[in-house]
Amino acid sequence: MRTTFDACRLPSFSSESPTAPPTLVWETIDVSESVAIRYPVWADGAAGRLLEALRGAGARLAEVPVRDLVKWVGRVADRFLDSGDPIRHKAVDLMVPTAGLSKEMATEILIGMARDWTAERLTELLRREFQDPAVLDGFCRLDEGRSVRARGPLLTFHVGAGTVPGVSVTSMIRALLVKSAVLLKPGLGDVVLPVLFAEALAEEAPELSDAISVTYWPGGSSALEDLALQTADAVVAYGGNEAIGSLRTRTPVTTRFIAYHHRLSVGLVGREALTSEVAPHVARTAAGAVSMFDQRGCVSPHVIYVEEGGAVDPGEWAALLASAMADLEAELPGGTLTAADASAVHQMRGSAELREASSGSRVRVFRANQSFWTVILEDEMGFTPSCLNRVVSLFPTPDLCRVADALKEVGGYLQTVAVEGAGDRLPMLAEALCRAGATRVTSFENAPWPPPWWHHDGASVFAGLLRWIDLEETG
Amino acid sequence: MSDAFASLAHALGTAFQESSGEPWPDDVFDRWARRVFAHQFETNAVYAAYVRKRGVTPSTVAHWSEIPWVPASAFKAVPLVSGDSSQVQRVFRTSGTTGAGRRGEHHVLDLDLYKHSLIPNMRRHLYGDGEAPSRPILALTPAPSRVPESSLSFMLGTAFDVLSGGEGGFFVTEDGVIDTVGLSEALLEATAHGTPILLAGTAFAFVHWLEWLQERNAGFDLPPGSVIMETGGFKGRSRVLERPEFYASLSESHGVPVEGIVNEYGMTELLSQFYDGTVYDGRGAATPEVTLEARRHVPPPWVRTRVLDPTTLSALPDGEPGLLCHYDLANAGSVMAVLTEDLGVAFDDGFRVLGRAQGAEPRGCSLAMDDLLSGVPS
Repeated sequence: MRTTFDACRLPSFSSESPTAPPTLVWETIDVSESVAIRYPVWADGAAGRLLEALRGAGARLAEVPVRDLVKWVGRVADRFLDSGDPIRHKAVDLMVPTAGLSKEMATEILIGMARDWTAERLTELLRREFQDPAVLDGFCRLDEGRSVRARGPLLTFHVGAGTVPGVSVTSMIRALLVKSAVLLKPGLGDVVLPVLFAEALAEEAPELSDAISVTYWPGGSSALEDLALQTADAVVAYGGNEAIGSLRTRTPVTTRFIAYHHRLSVGLVGREALTSEVAPHVARTAAGAVSMFDQRGCVSPHVIYVEEGGAVDPGEWAALLASAMADLEAELPGGTLTAADASAVHQMRGSAELREASSGSRVRVFRANQSFWTVILEDEMGFTPSCLNRVVSLFPTPDLCRVADALKEVGGYLQTVAVEGAGDRLPMLAEALCRAGATRVTSFENAPWPPPWWHHDGASVFAGLLRWIDLEETG
Repeated sequence: MSDAFASLAHALGTAFQESSGEPWPDDVFDRWARRVFAHQFETNAVYAAYVRKRGVTPSTVAHWSEIPWVPASAFKAVPLVSGDSSQVQRVFRTSGTTGAGRRGEHHVLDLDLYKHSLIPNMRRHLYGDGEAPSRPILALTPAPSRVPESSLSFMLGTAFDVLSGGEGGFFVTEDGVIDTVGLSEALLEATAHGTPILLAGTAFAFVHWLEWLQERNAGFDLPPGSVIMETGGFKGRSRVLERPEFYASLSESHGVPVEGIVNEYGMTELLSQFYDGTVYDGRGAATPEVTLEARRHVPPPWVRTRVLDPTTLSALPDGEPGLLCHYDLANAGSVMAVLTEDLGVAFDDGFRVLGRAQGAEPRGCSLAMDDLLSGVPS
């Protein structure tokens, strides 16, 4: 039987809205054999009413203390983390077909995401970002001669990418914490969690019921998109370069525009980690970093540079990684691929296997027969973007410190660099990676899960959303 | 050319030329395919090692469908030559429109074999067998002498020499600029003389040509029997116009009925082409109009096309969309079996190309390969 999921959660239009909710026309998209998603088609009138309602809710939200917001969001997180809560099962069951993930992976992602939405983590986030989070509620005298407070936008319009489920919920939470009403257009692969989150939040906190709207439409196709770009005080956009470029040109110059465009991440394994004791462990954590989100995250490594001269050479480490990829495939199976994604894997694999078959080649290809994971050991230094879905290239390098040079060509896209076994070269290496454009140096183990307070693509979490007001003492 | 390849190429060329255009029985194709595979296994060390890794040798292949394919992108990765690579007569290169990465290369050992594949196929679908008069070809591509690496220009150049009796011309510079004045004059002249022509080019060039005509509110009323062949638009670059509008516009601007407009589906990696020709059905007779949706790309007898499940790569039954995998005997000098990135559906009378496999919508966050290759900031 086919399930239809409404990729939409709208305000009630009831509390202070004088007129009845608009009548909506719906479209349906089949996302799998068992699930279709339905979304409203917005006409100008209805779009205007929705945005008006959200702005009204934003004004009321400004009066809610930040600690209440943390508490309410935290309660929703606790529900997603509770394996006995029906919302958890509903989320996972719907994430599988809409995001093309295995059930095991969907569960892992949901837990990993929701862990960072708990009251404890959000409190820690605010503590790290603000000298005193009370600046979000009113003026605070933090230093001599002035008081300050911070205000968020009345309404932020979020455009999600749909690549990794949950990312758009994190984006909404950041806006809510600075007391902004939110309109989210999720990507097709991330429609479930934001809708369930918004519904659950409205149950926990009826005060917030009108402050969040989630509604899907195919990008660029809706009257609501243009009107939202014109009406919002801030636009937060995740997506491909073309999508971001299009949104940016349609956003008024006076509106804050926060963009998360394409990024990619890489791994580095140095000699100090290539001992017979440590190398298998590093291979397991590297396999985890590559496989998590089926490699579709901006934090997912495309390539791993492996230093020569260790006890375990790059070829041996490639075999260890392949073995770990196979183990992980059993534990956290890969998801369902679109025809395009599957085709890209076949092309990349087959090409690599022909290079492997060339005489004198040191290229080696390790791969699954029944699934998509693939490890390609290259024979010369370079960089090859992955086709994703658990396909990783390994480049042997004589010296870890030379990798930063190889990465300069992708500098504008570079994000996370997972480093293992650099030993006391790490500070110098981090400097070189920073010059190459990296914004995060971490371990394979932590690579998939940056903490909520990470400098996402190099910026402070709230910086783009906030307006600081100085109240200087006038005597 | 090695003797072994020369005799195989000669035998194939003869078989192509003698073919009536009717599909060969499976056992006939199978014998040829296994002979070609044995040759490729023998002479193409890279392909042979790749095939052996799959546990396949000529003696394990019981049917042509078991012959291992290479992905189309392999033509970017390694030279694929089944024979003496010092004897390569021409290297054709892909246009590289799908990103600025390495271009695919097809090393061709025997241009005559290529011609023996393309001429009868083109004749059947665009010129008409037998009694139909030769027609001038007006090509919206650069002349082959200007772009020796372009397989499309080579093909149209061969048509110009062999099928059009040297009548017609090439109306695009090597920099891609259309000689609009020259083409207009040639079209007017053909109209004045009542000579049916073949107007052939890439969909991309036609879109620019149509824009030029529309800006001037200009058009032609070509003599009855004129044919338009358009190609491309399946390879990465999305069509600027949807096909029905594109054909309607071509038809209106040139006075050629929609059923006189034929799509050629081809690629540098394959030396044979496919036409969804409705003008001539392979026996030289005009076929009645069918809707664009109902059109089929028809392989010549020396090509078999399978549709594979994108995930498992197992063969799909007719009617189910999947990846197109072609087995082209004209590729005897490189690799015969090529898995494309094109989605299509097989029917009993051919296949329909659905376009390049693409996601439902562009994926953000993590970087897609094409974006990186086409947009690395300097």
